[in-house]
Amino acid sequence: MPAFTTTRDDHLIAWLTALAVCIHIVESVLPSPLPGIKPGLANVVTIAVLVRYGWRMAAWVTLLRVLVGSLLLGSFLSPTFILSLSGALCGIVALGAARALSPCLPGAELSALGYSMLAALAHMAGQFFVAYALFIPHPALLHLLPVLMTAALLFGLVSGRVAQALLDRVT
Amino acid sequence: MTFALNRADSVILIATLALLAFLYIRFWGDATQGEQARILVGGKEFSVVSLYKDQRLRIPGTLGVSEIEIRAGKIRFIDSPCHGKQCIHTGWLTLGGEVAACLPNRITVQVLGREPRFDAINF
Amino acid sequence: MRNRPFAVPSPLATRYSPLAFRYCLIALLATASCSKPEPLYQEQLLALGALVNISIWGMEPDTARRAADAVTADFNHVHATWHAWQDSALTRINAQLAAGQAFSAEPEMIPLLERARALSRASDYLFNPAIGQLFARWGFQSDEPKGPPPDPAVIDALVAQHPTIDDVVIEGNQLRGTNPAVQLDVGAIGQGYAVDVAIAHLRTLGVENAIVNASGDIRVIGKHGTRPWRIGIRNPRGNGIFASIELQGDESIVTSGTYERYFEYGGKRYHHVLDPRTGYPAQGTLSVTVLAHDATTADAASTALLVAGAHDWQRIARAMGVKHVMLIDAQGTVHIDPALAKRIRFEIDPAPEIVISAAL
Repeated sequence: MPAFTTTRDDHLIAWLTALAVCIHIVESVLPSPLPGIKPGLANVVTIAVLVRYGWRMAAWVTLLRVLVGSLLLGSFLSPTFILSLSGALCGIVALGAARALSPCLPGAELSALGYSMLAALAHMAGQFFVAYALFIPHPALLHLLPVLMTAALLFGLVSGRVAQALLDRVT
Repeated sequence: MTFALNRADSVILIATLALLAFLYIRFWGDATQGEQARILVGGKEFSVVSLYKDQRLRIPGTLGVSEIEIRAGKIRFIDSPCHGKQCIHTGWLTLGGEVAACLPNRITVQVLGREPRFDAINF
Repeated sequence: MRNRPFAVPSPLATRYSPLAFRYCLIALLATASCSKPEPLYQEQLLALGALVNISIWGMEPDTARRAADAVTADFNHVHATWHAWQDSALTRINAQLAAGQAFSAEPEMIPLLERARALSRASDYLFNPAIGQLFARWGFQSDEPKGPPPDPAVIDALVAQHPTIDDVVIEGNQLRGTNPAVQLDVGAIGQGYAVDVAIAHLRTLGVENAIVNASGDIRVIGKHGTRPWRIGIRNPRGNGIFASIELQGDESIVTSGTYERYFEYGGKRYHHVLDPRTGYPAQGTLSVTVLAHDATTADAASTALLVAGAHDWQRIARAMGVKHVMLIDAQGTVHIDPALAKRIRFEIDPAPEIVISAAL
């Protein structure tokens, strides 16, 4: 039998992913006013992990959350999964870019609020364009984009604030 | 709940608000902008195409094949087997209600929008 | 039964089927575009060598379709009666007019012939429905006129015979030709007339809001819901929209343009609006737009004013009782009466040079 060695990081990732998956599943069962608009509270975990443990860990937790969540919900490889994954990928790419560029930013580094806004917007944009390109290339869909992005900004601020509160408690 | 934004956060927020303003103007501002075009052959609907998908279409008419180009929200005839080439001279169509027709080849293109800019075209 | 891998026996699985997903997005689109389907019924047909669009607002789709179908039949009937080149009631009349003997015409043809006569006289014969021979010599009856232009001697000979509609004697249903050069061609009012027939028919069918558009010859009745009908006037030079105007109630707008039908020969462009005084295409004007109550008058007047040109259009317009005219000359300058100038909006950029005339 091959021997697995697990590091402390691996355990951390596993626990945080489990937490994120729980939020993800609870949220997916909640009725949503409009499909496509969800609070994205699982984002809280991503942001908190990013600020506390860095980008690599946040990326792991986010991608695993999407994968495990979809397996548990039975949506693996379905359109919902593809949209989730593309949103999540865009989100972590945006966060990575913001991290990499933060030395060039004026004054301070982004706080949890800034990261959260950025991740939510990137998530929505990525998800939207994949939906438009793969599923419904209908021009009327473009009229939704401003509304969806506005919702993303608001939810991004809210989950950023929650992540901040969480981080304040932990430290 | 208070939101304490630092300077970098504010930069992101301002950039986002600017982006949102752009998106609202772009996609909500001009309702007369065409979104789709209806192509008719011999008075019968041949297809409805999106003006947001750039492509070239080859439409079989009575005389032969007419070629139609769609680019960046506009549509036009680029080739038609007619003599007068009136359809090609009509040029780009973009506003809801605009029409171009190749009568000899019996093909017409009509722009559809949420709020048509024109109900009819006089010429 | 074997276990299928990856088949998740979760009740949630069904919620995420691709189909349900699509329905969700489609429902979302429906709410997002806030578009209740408009009570606008549209039909398109080809008749009189023209593209005919019929739009009916505010009726049940079935009722509107029946009305539009009835109008389609009208257009086909006008086409069969008045077509100047294919075998029609008109070509049979032309053959008998040339013979010079009195004969009976179909009663339904008399009103249009009388209208054409009155309009031709009022226009000082610049609108001349009797020059079918000249028109045919130029080859403009063909779908694809090609040239070459006819021999000048032939044109001069035809003009010298001076065919007018006064050479057609109308007594009851009896017609008699007094000039063998007369060949009736109602092309310059046929479309307008068909539009008027169609609108009258729609009204008897209870339609209150509609547009009938035969290749740009437009008559509107009523409104588009709470707003007037919006009409775009095509740029006579190049593409796009030159101007726009809102019409409602019962109004017609017709444009005659030199760009509609033409051929190029020896580097020169020859268009289809012939000046009956010279036998050659009218010079100096690109297009004339006439706004009038009925489309027959607007159609005849737009042709006559195109021939009259920038220096004489006001006199002919007054004589024909036409109140709203926009003439675009060969330099692109707009000559317009003050009443129409108030209603029209120029869409073209840069704005054209505009000369406002005395009130008509």
